[in-house]
Amino acid sequence: MLGIPLKYNIRNLFVRKVTTGLTVLGIGLVVAVFLCVMALGEGLTRVFTASGSENNVLVLRQNSQSELQSGVSRDQVPLILTLPGVAPDADGKPLASAELVVVLNLEKREGGSSNVTIRGIGEKGMKLRPGLTLVQGRWFTPGKSEVVVSRGISSRFKDCSMGETIHFGAYRWTVVGIFDAGGTAPDSEIWTDVEGMITDFKRGGYSSVLARTGGRAARDQFQAGLAGDARLALEGKVERKYYDDQTSTAAPIKFLGFFVGIVMAIGACFGAMNTMYAAVAARTREIATLRALGFSRLSVLISFVFESLCLALLGGLLGCALGWLAVKLALSGVTGTTNFATFSEVVFAFRLTPALLMTGIVFSLVMGFFGGLFPASRAAFTKITNALRQVG
Amino acid sequence: MKYLPFVFKNLFRKKTRSLLTLGSILLPLFVICVMGTLLKTLSRDPSEGRGMYRLVVRHKVSLTNFIPEAYRERIFQLGGIQEMSIWCWFGGKYVDYSAKNQFARFGVEPEKFLKVFDEARFIEGTAPDWISDRAGAIVGDALAKKYGWKVGQKITLTGDIYPITLDLTIRGIYTAENASALFFNWTYVEEALPRVKGRIGTFYVKAKSAADVERLPKQIDALFENADPPTKTETEKDFQNGFVSMLGNVKFMLTGICTAIVFVILLIAANTMAMAARERVTEIAVLRTLGYQKSTILGMILGESLLLALFGGVAGLAFFVLTFPGFKAWLMNTPMAGFAAGIKLFPSVLAAGFGVAVFVGLVAGVVPAIRSARRSITDGLRQVG
Repeated sequence: MLGIPLKYNIRNLFVRKVTTGLTVLGIGLVVAVFLCVMALGEGLTRVFTASGSENNVLVLRQNSQSELQSGVSRDQVPLILTLPGVAPDADGKPLASAELVVVLNLEKREGGSSNVTIRGIGEKGMKLRPGLTLVQGRWFTPGKSEVVVSRGISSRFKDCSMGETIHFGAYRWTVVGIFDAGGTAPDSEIWTDVEGMITDFKRGGYSSVLARTGGRAARDQFQAGLAGDARLALEGKVERKYYDDQTSTAAPIKFLGFFVGIVMAIGACFGAMNTMYAAVAARTREIATLRALGFSRLSVLISFVFESLCLALLGGLLGCALGWLAVKLALSGVTGTTNFATFSEVVFAFRLTPALLMTGIVFSLVMGFFGGLFPASRAAFTKITNALRQVG
Repeated sequence: MKYLPFVFKNLFRKKTRSLLTLGSILLPLFVICVMGTLLKTLSRDPSEGRGMYRLVVRHKVSLTNFIPEAYRERIFQLGGIQEMSIWCWFGGKYVDYSAKNQFARFGVEPEKFLKVFDEARFIEGTAPDWISDRAGAIVGDALAKKYGWKVGQKITLTGDIYPITLDLTIRGIYTAENASALFFNWTYVEEALPRVKGRIGTFYVKAKSAADVERLPKQIDALFENADPPTKTETEKDFQNGFVSMLGNVKFMLTGICTAIVFVILLIAANTMAMAARERVTEIAVLRTLGYQKSTILGMILGESLLLALFGGVAGLAFFVLTFPGFKAWLMNTPMAGFAAGIKLFPSVLAAGFGVAVFVGLVAGVVPAIRSARRSITDGLRQVG
């Protein structure tokens, strides 16, 4: 079977500049909107998938979904730390940190307010999260009501800049440092020392205990030890898994992206179909000539579907470019939403990954395929004699 | 107006094209209506037009901290209060933690609650039934419909904040503006967990008049300013808006999506009109030789474009209105469930959708209309094709 040269279709696209341009722009916009919304969802997802370690176990009260709901009493902590499996630090003490998590209602710089997690950590707390770096100032001194604030929170909330004081009634905390956790969960938190915080908030105990275990076997052993002690009524979750379970926070955004994307794609597909029908109608004689020259129906069909795919691909590429520009220029800063699992702000950035861009391209090709199929079959079944007789 | 039949005929000359264009206006307009409805729902005043003088008192630092129940007496002494009820977020798990099984569960004091939340009407069961059953609960009709709950049915909630499993019996189904929550008797939790007693999440206060709503928040907060813990009191509206603000810049996102969609419709409609005008160059030249004015040609093309957009627009709005109940029910089972509970048909959203259609119709037709009107007759007649 002889194929119609692809150049034929590509040149034809450029002959009809206005129609091609409008259709490409339409598909491009649909792809761009889809990509922007998905980049938002991807950015949020990435916070959770990049957080936590496989070797850390987070000890929570049974049935607690988050640290906020959990409670671990003071006298339980030594029992937890003596369970087999906890890795010792260089000084021989267990590498673990009993922590308290409270959410504070802080005012945003852009107006409105949101809940921010303030975490009191033990002396080993920092060692358990090696990805953290201090970008400004110093770490807090225990017992002095000092806090270090993540860069993301510092840029989004009032009174959270270096040297400022966060205060509520009787509570006052001075910001002595700004840290960066490379886009992971602590980037949405404020840190201070746990004992000071327990005093400030008049709490009777901790929220959770984070413990390092020495590898997989030790981890399983530690978790089994916790589960085996019914008096404790605690459970150990692998830190990695704890954060994975929170990725559902991004589900509404992703759902919205797909909903808007798919409905709009059908609309844009209709638009592409229009363009292709017009292209077929304008070239009826040409198509008949091709058929008369011996090109098969299938060749004509393939040829027009290909033309439609090219049209959509141009749209897809434009959409990727527009999406990329939007994310780079207009949406480059950090943004935030509330993670309802922890009832507090999660700071994140838009993330347009290569995989998403590929999805955008595939998306446009699907539009092009369905948009081209029917017009192409009309072209393929053109009656040669009638069409050749036609004038104009 | 006398050209209307002619414009009409032109519009449906190419049936496939007209239908496809209608479809490609209808679907995006549907999306615009959905986005608009979400936007409107998020920015709505929960006490809109009801004259409900409700205030929410909570811990100043955080909603997750407790305030003493003993504050009640002192707040009451400020006067101007009709009634106030404990209002505690229970959280917990119904069946599982998936998005489709998420809904609000609050522990309240039934008798007082019904006076504070007095717009709620029982559509099944009665208030005394609920009040007399310590393990009784009432559910919103939207929720009851979603899960197919009936009065007398048992529901189990597994606690997470509170380590307790609640075995509740539905004693009533209520209806109100946004009837998508479950309320149960807080005493149930207090009796099972003595350490919880006396420490509550929030108070809902119903004030007697607008002046009291104005005065009370400042007075309540001043009362506990140096107490431990201090309180934050705000109107129900501000309290709700606080949650919307917590979601981040959702309004910006939804508005952005809508703007982009308007452009997409515009491009598709403009494409259709450009194709239609191009095919009719010769025909228009003939009309001109027959004595039709440039302005008439302009009006006809513009009218056709407007008509096309209006057909698509009205179809889109009708589609939205007709599918709305089903769409809402469907949305209740998606990750959007939390947002879907409060959505309803807003006339202003439909009006905005109509406005978009008119805008698209006019703008999409402008260029082809002017070009068709301006083209010289000889040029037009000479054109082949």
